[in-house]
Amino acid sequence: MTKKKNHFIAYSTLVIFGLYMIFPFISTGLYATSTAWSNTILPEDFTFQWFVALGQDPNFIAALLRSVSLTLITLAVVLIIMVPTVCLVYLYFPKVDNFLKGLVLMPYAIPSVILATGLLRMYAGSVVPMYAVLVGGLFIGSLPFMYQGIRNSLEGIGAKSLMESAEILGANTLQSFLRVIVPNIRLGLLITTLLIFAGFFGEFVLTNLLIGGNYETIRIYMLRRMSENGHLASAVMVAYFTLLLLLSLLITRLTSAGKVKRKERRSKRNRRAVGSFQNPSETVSLTKQ
Amino acid sequence: MKTKRPNKYKLWLLPFFTVTALFLIVPLVLMVTSSFTSGATGAFTFSNYTEVFTNAFYYQSFLNSGMIALFSSVVGLLLAIIVAYAMTCLPNKIQDKISVYINLAANFAGVPLAFAFIILVGNSGAFRLFFDGLSIPLLSEFNLYSWQGLTLTYLYFQIPLGILFIYPSLKKMRKEWKEAAFLLGATNAMYWRKIGLPNIMPSIAGTFIIMFANGMGTYETAYALTGSNVNLITIRIAALVSGDIYAQPEVGSTLAIIFAMMMLLILATSQILLKRVRRDLA
Repeated sequence: MTKKKNHFIAYSTLVIFGLYMIFPFISTGLYATSTAWSNTILPEDFTFQWFVALGQDPNFIAALLRSVSLTLITLAVVLIIMVPTVCLVYLYFPKVDNFLKGLVLMPYAIPSVILATGLLRMYAGSVVPMYAVLVGGLFIGSLPFMYQGIRNSLEGIGAKSLMESAEILGANTLQSFLRVIVPNIRLGLLITTLLIFAGFFGEFVLTNLLIGGNYETIRIYMLRRMSENGHLASAVMVAYFTLLLLLSLLITRLTSAGKVKRKERRSKRNRRAVGSFQNPSETVSLTKQ
Repeated sequence: MKTKRPNKYKLWLLPFFTVTALFLIVPLVLMVTSSFTSGATGAFTFSNYTEVFTNAFYYQSFLNSGMIALFSSVVGLLLAIIVAYAMTCLPNKIQDKISVYINLAANFAGVPLAFAFIILVGNSGAFRLFFDGLSIPLLSEFNLYSWQGLTLTYLYFQIPLGILFIYPSLKKMRKEWKEAAFLLGATNAMYWRKIGLPNIMPSIAGTFIIMFANGMGTYETAYALTGSNVNLITIRIAALVSGDIYAQPEVGSTLAIIFAMMMLLILATSQILLKRVRRDLA
């Protein structure tokens, strides 16, 4: 009896919380599909005209493309540098690894505003293009997340013994890295990458402070539209969160796929690689308020 | 075999350390030197610090940020604990799914969040109209574009963040503990006071500090909601360094340094606390 009662309380708490969490989404959605909503509790009409207008706005398309290209370029840089570095450090340089553990926490202590201050101080008016500085700043911001993600994956597959086995079987280091380690951490890496993708895609602070007006990304476009036409801005947000939702669904799918795999293999090892994104210490970098 | 070979791979670490040096370490060092440089003459000076410490405007910005961060993290933490505890009562499958969506909600910060709150509780927001229609003066005193509004808005992303940190430690509490305590005659309240709370206390403290730091560092939400109307430390720094007419990068650097020092202190405390949790559980 008491158990059922407890469940009831638990469910109702979660429903109330869920409603609180979902209200802003709903209101944005309603605003995006109406033309007049000022003196009533619910909007007065329903329309898709803002989404059509959005699709025809070259500024929106340009902002979207800028965000996507910035995200992809930065992700490429981050992955190319971070994967080998974390692997090497984890496998061969435990002292450097300990140092890195502390270093990657720096972005937690230094909010983007402070990082932007330092970057402006160093690079404003210099020959280094601000775009490169922005990529560098984003790289720094993603450090804790990327480091933890890759490291958890490596620990999960027992990279050290895998590497040794590969080398005993005659593979050289590069071969064992590319053919053994990378394929094994692919899933964990993919999940981390998707989450970072969401973070980069929605980045605002660094972009706005470093190159702001000259480089309108999706969030800056949103802010500008917000003061001009709220309905259109809402439509941007709806599109943006649909994308994030799809991404989240993909992550859930991938995670459960990984779990099935894990069950099949009946590995005794604690595979945190797959569930790594649930590690709370990694999520902070995503919440760039 | 392991002892000698690694040295030849050290070269591969070079790109990482170059990037970190160029975009993290050196800018921070330059910021420190800049905070000791006079904006007018370029000579060494303490005047930036004396200005920051004597000017009530800057002092106020720290206080405002601190109060909003404190309030939103205390309330947010309480609610986060309640929701996280409710989550642990559910079947495992649902728990996993919920945490993904909480992750998504934690991403709903900044410009979209500010706008959603304007629609809901802004000057002609839906909730305001609803309560006005019922003649309930619940929101009549409420101003979204002030510290009240900021606190309410921060709560929205602070709660999910708190859940993400609290939830794992609540999950580690075994059902058997509760059963054992009840078998020995403890009441629910006694169980929480003697066993439950002492067990999760360190992680609650750690989570609180992370939430506080997060609230202090928030810029986008505040900027989108109030522009520069509310005097917050992040907004102040951004206004001082980004090139508008009032730009005073040296003072901005000084504020940023003081702010970073505070954050480092906060983070160090949280690390110590979190380490303690791990030792307790090991």
